[in-house]
Amino acid sequence: MPLNIDFVQVLLHLLNFVILAGGLTLLVYKPVMKFLDARRARYEALEEQNQAAKEESDRLQKAYASHLADAEAEIAEKRLKAEREGAETARAYLDGAREKAAAIVAAAEAEAETRRAQILDSAQTEIGELVLEATQKLLTDSADAERTAALYDAFLRRAEEDAKKRAEP
Amino acid sequence: MDLKVKNRGRTVFLIVWLALIVLLLAAILLLGLPGEKSESIRAVMRDGVLHDENRVAVLGLRVNPGLISAWVVTGVLLLCGAALRIFAIPRFTDVPGKLQCVIEALVEFFSGMARTSSPHRPGFVGAYIFAAGVYIFFSTVFELFGIQVLTDAGRSVALPAPIADINGALAMGILSYLVILGAGFVTNGLRGGLGVLKDFSLPISMSFRLFGALLSGLLVTELVYYYTALSFVLPVVVGVLFTLLHAVIQTYVLSTLVSFFYGEAVEPKAPKVKKPKKQKLESGEDK
Repeated sequence: MPLNIDFVQVLLHLLNFVILAGGLTLLVYKPVMKFLDARRARYEALEEQNQAAKEESDRLQKAYASHLADAEAEIAEKRLKAEREGAETARAYLDGAREKAAAIVAAAEAEAETRRAQILDSAQTEIGELVLEATQKLLTDSADAERTAALYDAFLRRAEEDAKKRAEP
Repeated sequence: MDLKVKNRGRTVFLIVWLALIVLLLAAILLLGLPGEKSESIRAVMRDGVLHDENRVAVLGLRVNPGLISAWVVTGVLLLCGAALRIFAIPRFTDVPGKLQCVIEALVEFFSGMARTSSPHRPGFVGAYIFAAGVYIFFSTVFELFGIQVLTDAGRSVALPAPIADINGALAMGILSYLVILGAGFVTNGLRGGLGVLKDFSLPISMSFRLFGALLSGLLVTELVYYYTALSFVLPVVVGVLFTLLHAVIQTYVLSTLVSFFYGEAVEPKAPKVKKPKKQKLESGEDK
């Protein structure tokens, strides 16, 4: 053979290298690759966890900001509602007070009217009694026909005027 | 006073030391080396290429010293691998120490090369080029140790790099080609295999590239060591630096070539698109 190529030795070299390649693969390459892959996977998992935690944190921050904004809006709404309710309550109170005042005034007016009427009645009664007393006195003092007629006329006129006054509202 | 005595003593030491070196050199040059007489430089160079004289008898076979080197290197590497597997790898930590750094860098270099060149199936070729790279590097560096064996002709020869033997280089080239060819058949069937078969010159080119590179280093080293005058200082440069350079370059070249051709062989082939048949021209147009 050219260059003294010996195929038996080529095969021996091949066998030698196949044994070496298999041995190195099993003893070094695969265990080291396994370790490297496991470490890479572990770091990737950690990275994913960190990413997930960051995303969760961002989400919570956004949710917190959203809740804060909602709470502020709710507070503003409640404040507005409270103001509105306060205004309505005040108005209701005022209306009630007005109604009450009107009722009190009406009652007072009615009572005043009643009392006025009572006073007028008692006054008329008293006037009548005074008139009777005065008449008796006059009759006893001077029994004059003309004067008696004049007195009767004056009495009747007064009675008519009282009746008119009473009839007026 | 003391300083003068000290300087004088140092000068005497230097003169005696240099005189001894010159005397020894002269004696070596005058007497000559036994090797020069037993074999001519032509015979040494010829044997470096052809290995037709200096063979070693092992188990009833007459083999080249390169095969003995291959066995020794394989044994040492397997022992080191076993020691690493038992003592080092189970103690690997997330924060690596020096040894772990070296091993990780070595494995990641070859697996990274496999992933880059053969992204579709990097697993097997990664392991293969790791083993081939480690073997080529350490077997090339191995020749630096100059371990002597006795040939069947009764001469003592230093064990060379296994790949400086044409049989070792051919074995690496053929096996690498078979790996690529097998991967082509397994991944892409007959089409993939035939694609690799087209590159039938690949095993020869890979083998002879390895053989030529290592042989040139061997011949230069033989030449340097043959002549006494060249045996001082120069071997440090030629022997160590050339050998280390060869080891690194050949490791890188073979790993790159194998991973590149492997990647090409296992690359998924696009299904062939049938060309649409030409529509017959209308009869009117024919005329």
